[in-house]
Amino acid sequence: MKKIVVQTIGLSKTFKGPLPVHAVQSVDLTIEDDEFTAIVGPSGSGKTTLLNMIGGLDRPTSGSVSVNGLDLNKLSDHELTNFRLKHIGFVFQSFNLIPVLTARENAEFILLLQKYPRIEREQRVLQLLNEVGLQDKVDSRPSQLSGGQQQRVAVVRALASKPDFVIADEPTANLDSKSASNLLDIMERLNREEGITFIFSTHDQRVIDRARRVITLVDGKIASDERR
Amino acid sequence: MILKIAWRNIWRNSMRSIVVIASVSLGLLAAIFVTSFYKGVTVQKVNDVIKLEMSHLQIHIPGFRDDYLPADYLNNAQEIKRQIQNKYNVKAIALRSIAMGMLSSPTKGGAVKIIGVDPVEERKTTTLYTYIKEGSYFEGGVKHPVVVSRKQADKYNLSLKSKVVVTVQDVDGEIVSGAFRVVGIFETDNGMYDEANVLVVQTDLNQLLSIPDRSNEIAVLFEDHDDVNSIADELQLQYPSLEVKSWMDLSTGMRFLVEAMDTYMVVIVGIVLLALLFGIINTMLMSVLERTREIGMLISIGMSNIRVFSMIVIETIILAVTGGPLGLLFSWLTVKYFSEHGIDLGPFRETYMDLGFAPVIYPVLEPHDFYMVAIMVVLMAIIAALFPAMKALKLKPSESLRKI
Repeated sequence: MKKIVVQTIGLSKTFKGPLPVHAVQSVDLTIEDDEFTAIVGPSGSGKTTLLNMIGGLDRPTSGSVSVNGLDLNKLSDHELTNFRLKHIGFVFQSFNLIPVLTARENAEFILLLQKYPRIEREQRVLQLLNEVGLQDKVDSRPSQLSGGQQQRVAVVRALASKPDFVIADEPTANLDSKSASNLLDIMERLNREEGITFIFSTHDQRVIDRARRVITLVDGKIASDERR
Repeated sequence: MILKIAWRNIWRNSMRSIVVIASVSLGLLAAIFVTSFYKGVTVQKVNDVIKLEMSHLQIHIPGFRDDYLPADYLNNAQEIKRQIQNKYNVKAIALRSIAMGMLSSPTKGGAVKIIGVDPVEERKTTTLYTYIKEGSYFEGGVKHPVVVSRKQADKYNLSLKSKVVVTVQDVDGEIVSGAFRVVGIFETDNGMYDEANVLVVQTDLNQLLSIPDRSNEIAVLFEDHDDVNSIADELQLQYPSLEVKSWMDLSTGMRFLVEAMDTYMVVIVGIVLLALLFGIINTMLMSVLERTREIGMLISIGMSNIRVFSMIVIETIILAVTGGPLGLLFSWLTVKYFSEHGIDLGPFRETYMDLGFAPVIYPVLEPHDFYMVAIMVVLMAIIAALFPAMKALKLKPSESLRKI
């Protein structure tokens, strides 16, 4: 039996306002180790909100999120930040690299925040950059890299500290098809060979086609959960 | 790494950073220059007042300086002079007779203060002889000589060798007059002094006032003026029936000038630094708001609040502290140049002279003023850093990531 990495129970999020928006409603979800899961659905279906709560970026209105058995609701903001640093990797839609740092420095950043020794940091990052084919771009700044290359750096940054799982919010949305395919190859290989759990939100059919589990959200509720 | 990111962030928008650094430098230059300019005004005024008019300390009969009555003379001026010379490190000491009276020429007359001096002693005590523009300072053996100012010469239509009549009230209250001949015309930088005073030989004035061998005033110039106030206090205790006052107490205007100038300087520097403070806050706030998504990302991936806070604070402090030393260097060079060459007030010369100030100002920069401004800049930088850094801390990662 595989280890449960993420579990949500009755997870809901309502954005207050003149017209309250029920972005996520009573979602019960379990994600196990080694999964390559895509959360899909039309715009406004609650994919990003669900991922934000799973990733500890947002707090639920009701219900709970547990990561490796730890209830995120019980953590203070400071503890949650520290938890994200050590346990969750993030890949964002628009890369979100630090523009003033080189590819290597960006990739090292999380290890640095975790106070890894310099030699270990460099070895890990250079190995990963090599794996994603950026060995000749280590000293390039984000502005000198293509979108696909930037996203690969973001993947390396997310994986560098060996997180429990990686959340990728629309990772291929800003990429051309070749770069997107290349990125998916890399993530699929890392999942298969290193056992890294990936949770995507996407409406990119290329990602959906590769996912081994597809959870469809409609109006903040799980409409289907398909394992392949 | 935080330091590296902060440093590189500063140069992301190099023009903006250069403008901030330049504004800090220029602000400091302005603050220090204004401070040193007014310090120069004060120091020059104090020196002028001491050297030209007051000396360091004066002794009178109490109330003499209210009415200048000839009857208010010092009985034992010579003895007091001798005692002071024996006890203190005295550079010069002068006895004077003073009366308020009328100066009349064939065409015009007006009120003046007539100062009777011993020319030899007075040369050692005051510097008026250095301002003689025509004639001499009581030289040439002319009988009943008078030295007048350029302003008075113009006003009363006088020139060298002109005859004037001095009218005063003598010790018995009688109105008496004496004829004097102009032997010297002076022109100081102090228009007010020039308008009010004429100098005659003390024995001539004493004869008019009928107070032979008497003096109304003892003026003392010490070698070192740091202890003047304590010496004045000592002498006051020694001569309780007399009025002993230091130069600062002799002129309420001088005390006000010295004390007010310090306050003005703090206010001026404060205003300049406040303007800089808001300039830096504005710039850093813009920088934080422009980077909302990036800061949100940093918080998302696990950068702690204290690290985000430190990054913004370091960026702000680097900006201010880079501009600071540049500003201090420019200020020092500028003040050094003008302290040697002076600043001619040009079109404002006459106004300044009429107010009793020198028309050429030599700025004075004292080390403690320099350090004070430097410390205030660092404090300002820290204060300026807090608001943008707090703003960065309030960003919610999930909301910030959605910002375009």
